[in-house]
Amino acid sequence: MDDSSNGYHISFFKPTTPQALANRNMVLWLISVWFIAIFGFQFLLWVIEKPTPQPAYLTFQNVWENVEKDSPTSKELQEFGQSTLSVLGKIAIAEDEKMALDNAFSWSVYQLTTDSLRADFLLKVQEFEKLKADIESISDPGYIAEKQVLITEMASILGLSVMDVRAKIAPLELSSKAMKSMTGDTKIALPGIMEKYLVHNQSFLTDWKFLGFPFHYFYTAVFLLILFIGLCLLYCVKTDLLNAKLNIVD
Amino acid sequence: MKNIYTLVLALFIPALSQAATAASQLEGSFRLGPAIILISILVLFVMVGILFRAKDTTDFYAAGRGISKVGSGMAIASNWMSAASFLGMAALMYGSGYHGLAYVVGWTGGYVLLLILMAGQIRKYGKYTAADFIGDRYYSQTLRAVGAIIAILISISYCVGQFGGIGLMFKWVLGIEYSWAVIIGGSVVLTYTLISGMLGVTKNMQIQYVIIIISFIIPLFILSYKFDYFWILPQIGYGSVVSDAVAGIPLNDANQLINSLGHDFAVVPIPEYAMPWDPATGKTFFQWIAIAFSLMIGTAGLPHVIQRFYVVPKARDARWSVVWGLFFICILYWSAPAYAAFGKILSANPEVGQLSKDAIVVYTAQLGSVHPLIVGFLAAGGVSAAFSTVSGLLVAGASAFSHDLYVKVINPQASPERQLLFARFGTVLMAIIVSVIALFKLALIGQLVAVAFSLAGCTIFPLFLLGIWWSGSNKQGAIAGLIAGGLVTLVALTYFIAGKVGAVLPAHEFVSYWLGAWYFAWFGAPLAILVHIVVSLFTKETPIEIRKFLIEKVHS
Repeated sequence: MDDSSNGYHISFFKPTTPQALANRNMVLWLISVWFIAIFGFQFLLWVIEKPTPQPAYLTFQNVWENVEKDSPTSKELQEFGQSTLSVLGKIAIAEDEKMALDNAFSWSVYQLTTDSLRADFLLKVQEFEKLKADIESISDPGYIAEKQVLITEMASILGLSVMDVRAKIAPLELSSKAMKSMTGDTKIALPGIMEKYLVHNQSFLTDWKFLGFPFHYFYTAVFLLILFIGLCLLYCVKTDLLNAKLNIVD
Repeated sequence: MKNIYTLVLALFIPALSQAATAASQLEGSFRLGPAIILISILVLFVMVGILFRAKDTTDFYAAGRGISKVGSGMAIASNWMSAASFLGMAALMYGSGYHGLAYVVGWTGGYVLLLILMAGQIRKYGKYTAADFIGDRYYSQTLRAVGAIIAILISISYCVGQFGGIGLMFKWVLGIEYSWAVIIGGSVVLTYTLISGMLGVTKNMQIQYVIIIISFIIPLFILSYKFDYFWILPQIGYGSVVSDAVAGIPLNDANQLINSLGHDFAVVPIPEYAMPWDPATGKTFFQWIAIAFSLMIGTAGLPHVIQRFYVVPKARDARWSVVWGLFFICILYWSAPAYAAFGKILSANPEVGQLSKDAIVVYTAQLGSVHPLIVGFLAAGGVSAAFSTVSGLLVAGASAFSHDLYVKVINPQASPERQLLFARFGTVLMAIIVSVIALFKLALIGQLVAVAFSLAGCTIFPLFLLGIWWSGSNKQGAIAGLIAGGLVTLVALTYFIAGKVGAVLPAHEFVSYWLGAWYFAWFGAPLAILVHIVVSLFTKETPIEIRKFLIEKVHS
């Protein structure tokens, strides 16, 4: 079909007037900038990224073989417990994965407790769980006091400072029901869970700081929006100038 | 007069101070102060609606075409800044980190496309609604009716997320069940849209913009100041919050900074919050790109957005109103990620528990010990954001129902009074349908709204793009393109709904991933454009009068 035979033909790619030609060139230029700025940058980010483990993942990898064989040293158990806490401290964890992590963490704490104290410790954890279920507010003084006792005790068991964030959350992640053994399901799932939460896509663009931001974050969340406004502004100004030059009135 | 003033003070001040002490819990109880703020704002909206109510159909649909470009820009921004922007965007970033930024980019970058490809030309075309354009440009009453139905479907899909946001905020303020909150909030927004029409809506949108932006930004200044970040420009200051989340905040560095529940401002390293397409979020590079692309394409195809260009006097005003609109929008979009960043750290302690992501903006302010009345104002801002968009959507949907379906297709002889009556009937019908769907809570607000964008991207966008820029685009091509885009939409939504009810369809995982309900336009829109072009090339050419109109009116 040829629709240009009668002269009434509009095609963005085949401009027939100086205005249409100038507009096409400007639009193509702006869209190119727009496209490269958005998708080009994300593509670059994707190409250069490298899976980068957190220190907690390296710790986990070092001790996991012995933990899995049930032959870890106390030091290895402590590091194992610390590394699971590094994941439990994150907020968004799938429920089934949290159960496996709770099991692994609680088991490690139980193993680290001296044989003669295990029964007492288990009882203490059970009492804390009951208290936690019964209180109406987390600012209940009795609850806070019990939690503090457990924080101190667990920091000592895990070889953490009481001022470590992980020590603060440790009592909240203990599960008396999951303490005595690490299940087969947990052993199968744990390496994958740890890798999922502790290995991240990083590069110099994510590591470099700009105005306090990781650079890639600043670029996407702040700069791109400035660019969009700039492109729109440029288009309007140039269109106005073009219309004035060609005596076109809207 | 003095006595009335004293009486008002006597009634309100004790109520407000009582609210300041009662609103200490994150959720559950009735909050009197925030409720008074919310009701006052809603009354203000209705009053403005009454003062500037529609007098005839031109007023109802296009605000008499007397709105300035800055005013129109504010209305565009207000119309745009919905519950998805106000509440949903922070929710997406809170839940999936960098992935959420695809929504920020998608919902702003689309305006560049809209401006340079369509805004001025749409105004020059001079129609009231998207379906009007489609019917005239493609010389087909059938396409006009289909365009109207699509516009209604898009409005409904878009409104569902908004009603969800209204429900969440009414629930938070009034301490009532979500279902009742949706019904009450929906009734109020319906009432005022019916009273005012678009003239009231446009005036209200300017007021709503101011309320939305002030209510959104004030708590950010407070949070940044309280937690010792660069508070003068929190939109930049929160960069250090993001970096702190990545590196972790040791207790020693928290310096007695605590949240409203008594937890330290400390967190283990959470790089997954900021790192791109992190495995922990379950999101991929492809999904990031597909979402950003679909949202941008969809932006340029949303009837209620396109319709805003009819309310400015000239094409130049339409262009500049986009610049102003985008600038006003970006003020909020630069700020929303800050709520997610603060929220991530303030809710890090396991004792906080699982919070509703869609209300994280309000919870963050609460956890940051922002004064309850300011948090109440923030919640009212969230309601305003949802209201401003819903009212525009209801008008767009009602226009499609009354103007495009009833008057142009069914009864061309209808009097203006009857036309207005049908517009109002359409508004009520839509509000009821939306309320019912919103009760099911199908997904996050931002995701629900993204469905509307993909739908618009697959259907309306190709029709406008090719209709404006290529005279060779004809009726047959438009129909074929619509069928292609519609089929992709149908497949994507069928798989989504099947997944929701637990059914497994053939290649379920594959289709659900590559044609996700929030981003199927990445495939559907290019396919629809391609089919449209190919079919147009091999079928009867566009009538001379349409091509003449394009040259003489739209591109002159």
